[in-house]
Amino acid sequence: MEIKFESLDGSSFEYRVMMIIFAFFSVVGLLATWWVIEKGIWVTGMYTRVPWGLQIVMAVYYIGLSAGSLVISGLYGVFGKAEYKPFARIAVYVAMLFLIAGLLSILTDQGRMDRVFVEPFVHFNLQSMFSINPILYIGHILICIVYLWALFCEKKTLTKVIATLAFGWAFCVHSGTGAIFGFGARVLYESPLLPASFVAAAMASGTALMILLIVTLFKITKRHLDDELIIWLGRFLAICVLVVVYFLAVENAYRAYVVELRHAAVYYLFGGIHSLLFWIGLIFIGCIIPMFILFRKKTGKSIRWIVLASSLVIFGVLCERYVIVIPGLTNPPELFPGMEITFSAIQEGFASYTISFLEVLQAVGVFGIIGFLFGLGLKLFKLLPTEARILDPNI
Amino acid sequence: MDRRDFFKIAGGTILAGTSGVYAIRRLTGSIPGSTVADSPLTGKKWGMVIDLSKCVEDCTACLDACRYENNVAFHQDERWDVHWIRKIRLESKIGTTSTEKSVILLCNHCEKPPCAQVCPVQATYKREDGIVVVDHHRCIGCRYCMIACPYNARYFNFKDKEDWSNTDRPKRSHGVAEACNLCAHRIDLGELPACVEACSNVGEGAIMVGDMNDSGSEVAKIIMAEAVKRLKEDLGTEPKVYYLGL
Repeated sequence: MEIKFESLDGSSFEYRVMMIIFAFFSVVGLLATWWVIEKGIWVTGMYTRVPWGLQIVMAVYYIGLSAGSLVISGLYGVFGKAEYKPFARIAVYVAMLFLIAGLLSILTDQGRMDRVFVEPFVHFNLQSMFSINPILYIGHILICIVYLWALFCEKKTLTKVIATLAFGWAFCVHSGTGAIFGFGARVLYESPLLPASFVAAAMASGTALMILLIVTLFKITKRHLDDELIIWLGRFLAICVLVVVYFLAVENAYRAYVVELRHAAVYYLFGGIHSLLFWIGLIFIGCIIPMFILFRKKTGKSIRWIVLASSLVIFGVLCERYVIVIPGLTNPPELFPGMEITFSAIQEGFASYTISFLEVLQAVGVFGIIGFLFGLGLKLFKLLPTEARILDPNI
Repeated sequence: MDRRDFFKIAGGTILAGTSGVYAIRRLTGSIPGSTVADSPLTGKKWGMVIDLSKCVEDCTACLDACRYENNVAFHQDERWDVHWIRKIRLESKIGTTSTEKSVILLCNHCEKPPCAQVCPVQATYKREDGIVVVDHHRCIGCRYCMIACPYNARYFNFKDKEDWSNTDRPKRSHGVAEACNLCAHRIDLGELPACVEACSNVGEGAIMVGDMNDSGSEVAKIIMAEAVKRLKEDLGTEPKVYYLGL
């Protein structure tokens, strides 16, 4: 069956309103970033004890969404599931946009943005995960561009080759991002399991994002979408979430079991607002409820319920990113075991971190830019299929 | 010219060009690890010994001297103050008895510095003489070195400091990472770091700096003979700041 793709007309009132909102968000974010450049990073609320904040959380989150979206495109390109071909173009395009979002978040978090485009390439450090990752990210974007071109030109062999490369690359991209933390010196970061658990969370959030996006787009633009296609994705999402839960369980069980890490484990699981985000945001809202919805026969076959579960997973993985980045910083390194620091010129012990308004504006800005580019892509390129039907009724 | 000749000439040109560039860079020392034969840094390994028994509780001579010498950003706000060197009070308890002591903390100038390993632009690097320094003109301000340092010894210049105490030294600009550089500019001139000099001037001499490769230096003698301790030795970073009486 020949699948036809088309671009959006883009003349509707809703489309224009959406683009104006995204443009407004972008301008707000750019102004916030200009303010940060002008005054210094201290205005974002980050400080000596917590030198990374929301921008890094969002960067890791976006990169995960990107890697996960690319995996969905691989259903057609790598595994030959032809019924998912209608979503391949949009999945690759979204993967590219979210990687750009991740890079924008990292860029706006640098103390000297003016040096970012030169120094990392001139003074490359092969030993640093921060040096290796930009190569993975740039490669990811280039692969996405070639992949899109292959899809647009309907080049079957090239699509298969580049899809396989993209699939593997997406794993490397997110493993690399996980390694920034996992190979670090902080007690709550250091874990060889972290790159793998990053990939699992990326696949969960990427799949959830694609479900949400596909269902919404098809509904708004009044296109036919066979429920079975989304139901299968829902099942896949449920398994991804299960894997995420497994990794979380192993990691935390290890920390709780090893005596020298127990203190940090207790802080992570029961030590403050981040613990609430872990238990309520990630475990309950982001994992248990979605799994309940998706594994249950009745709700697992309802598109509305699947969309709800996907939204919860997207929120849950955002919480997961937060509880990886922030508690790892607020938990202090123990310089003098068995002794207590009674006076210090800097904050000792457990530190605190609150997301500032400026950080939120910066994050909104990045989202706005990506949203705008997404809308523009729908208008300029033939990303949307005319319909998405199941090919094999026994799927 | 046939194809064979073309490849010969092209290959030879590329080989000569790259090896020439490499040789020039190596000779001028722009490749990390390369050495210039008569470099004053070669063969030295600077280390520090801090004798806590000589450190007076309320004395801030070393802190003040460092702050003045290096124009360290001090805003009187613990969130954003930069401390190339700082002092803490440490209480240790055994049963019901407890003792307190002042401890000076600074960059440990590790032999295997995690901060330098993670720096994506090699702005943080270890000199041949073992001093870990930051090139402030290269740092992009990613703060990964702060995450990697297990001693909380690295700081970020979150905001500009308006007043500029020592006009002989560069002003610190915001947006880059910082840490103690053992007053490398003074060491290169054969002088002592500002903190060591200040501590000595107030008559305590609790901080000592010397070449650990020179067995006759006071620092080397203490490290060899006394029960010195380093922070978090188990990490394998091999700090070069040794404590007496910790």
